[in-house]
Amino acid sequence: MQKYTFVIDIQYKSNVRDPRGETIKRVLNEEYSIPVSSLRLGKSIHLEVEAESEEQARQLVEKACSELLVNPVTETYEVRKL
Amino acid sequence: MTLPKAQVVVYPGSNCDRDALWACKYVGFDAEFIDIYSDIDADLLVLPGGFSYGDYLRVGAVAAREPIAQKIKEFVSRGGLVIGICNGFQILVEMGLLDGALLQNSNGKFICKIVDLEVVDNSTPFTSYYLKGERIRLPIAHGFGRYVKTNDVNVALRYVEDVNGSDQLIAGITNANKNVFGLMPHPERAMEKILGSDDGLRVFLSAFNYIKNNGGVRG
Repeated sequence: MQKYTFVIDIQYKSNVRDPRGETIKRVLNEEYSIPVSSLRLGKSIHLEVEAESEEQARQLVEKACSELLVNPVTETYEVRKL
Repeated sequence: MTLPKAQVVVYPGSNCDRDALWACKYVGFDAEFIDIYSDIDADLLVLPGGFSYGDYLRVGAVAAREPIAQKIKEFVSRGGLVIGICNGFQILVEMGLLDGALLQNSNGKFICKIVDLEVVDNSTPFTSYYLKGERIRLPIAHGFGRYVKTNDVNVALRYVEDVNGSDQLIAGITNANKNVFGLMPHPERAMEKILGSDDGLRVFLSAFNYIKNNGGVRG
């Protein structure tokens, strides 16, 4: 068994409003005069998984995403191996 | 006939469980608490409000995957009545027993106040004691109550004015069979006039009398 490390990047779908992101963007615009035109706040999950192969590790991470980590109704995600 | 029986599921982090139990007893239910490892022996199951598992990851997400989830799904398929209030609604949505999703209020704030609502569907086991179109007042207390619709759902309750950015002002829905009811407002906190409203009482009365008239689902 080998350990594999992945990052799962979870974002709200583009048609879903993100009040936290809007607030942070407003503060950057108004308090720091930084002309950020769009800001979306998502989640980043770093995890380490033990598997026989990278392919198997990816399958396990995909399972974790579909079973618990991601709500497909409102979120999209990307998996990257570190 | 034995009394209709209600069970209130206490998750780690539930905090409206005692109000819910009291409301069930107040209208005549034989009522008790159960936990995530318990078996279901009830005609009405209540998923109470609160912050189950600290609402880590997503609201209701962890609670919806605990051992009792399968038993709740089986209970629903047998025709048992389930009401999910606030965090309980969020758990039902995460379990897939109700459609859609609940996200952060559009103004980013936790909102705690009494709001005006309209009873849209009074043909459910939970709303039969209301008139169709009746205006009622119930407390809300949530940070994540913005209902996002994915399919056509049966709307039971609507906000009269926009309070949290919910699609179509939706405050409460049922499944197609109408035996699962999820709502963000707290009927269990509006049981007597002294609490500011007794408009929540009839939710529990409706369920109690539905079970009395139609028989329960206990073995």
